[in-house]
Amino acid sequence: MNDMRQELAQLGGGAHALAIQILGNVDDAADAVHDAFATALAKPGAYDERKGPLKPWFMRVVRNRCLDMLRRRRSGSLPVEELIDPATGPEEATGEAQRSGAIRNALAELAGDKREIIVLRDYLDLSYAEIAVVLGVAQGTVMSRLHRARLALKEALDKDGR
Amino acid sequence: MAGNTSSIDDHVGALLSGYIDGELTQQERQRVEIHCEACTDCSTQREALGNLRKQVGQAQLSEFGEDKWRETMDETTVRATRGIGWLLVIGGLLAVGGIAVYGFITDPGIELHLKLIIGAIYGGAAVLLFSVLRQRLIERKSDKYKDVEI
Repeated sequence: MNDMRQELAQLGGGAHALAIQILGNVDDAADAVHDAFATALAKPGAYDERKGPLKPWFMRVVRNRCLDMLRRRRSGSLPVEELIDPATGPEEATGEAQRSGAIRNALAELAGDKREIIVLRDYLDLSYAEIAVVLGVAQGTVMSRLHRARLALKEALDKDGR
Repeated sequence: MAGNTSSIDDHVGALLSGYIDGELTQQERQRVEIHCEACTDCSTQREALGNLRKQVGQAQLSEFGEDKWRETMDETTVRATRGIGWLLVIGGLLAVGGIAVYGFITDPGIELHLKLIIGAIYGGAAVLLFSVLRQRLIERKSDKYKDVEI
């Protein structure tokens, strides 16, 4: 159980990044990760390590939680908020922070499905088979969807001259 | 696509992403490599997508570190334990209250009109308490500023 907690804590940042891309809001994303932790810790038996690593399983739990929250937003239980612009603020002065800001802004211009597949592959480093598990799609469709998403991200970055 | 010897139909498209991700079979990798040797556009795109992947991988997309998530998990455990504690306390109090009420109602030493008056006082107090608690819970759930510290 402690090993699982340790591993989950390491996955928290990546899970939060994924949730931000799906929900478009830092605080809601933190709530989604919090709920996913609660689910994973309350039912540790739900994860079967024989079926694969913890990372894609947990990302699927986080994604499902985010989709639930989006459904609740649409039904009016939660306020719908505009996508935040995370790239503003004085801390964005350094080159690295500027590059991160540019990527976040470019991602914010893409459709949700494109944002999440890019984060799953390029930020969380999941394999195509693991991405297929998280998204619940056939493995064969991952490469083409990811390619389209990358081209869209590249276009968004080029458009703003970043 | 200028500056290459391949027709558009021959372009490798999504295989470029599979190539930079190391997800292709050896045969597919060779196809991409042979194509990119002849096609400058695809070769350039392969390099650009590789750089893009690296940039996304190095970007800071979440501001919270591992410690924050460890605290969050501890908080989750504390909340669950507290919930069980409250459940036990409330269950125990209800059981004690139930026994006391039963003893009061069935006590032959207390006259009926006294039982009704005392019952009305305690019953009214219980209804008022329940009403206030319910109102507080509703306010707490819908208060956007509950976490704001002044």
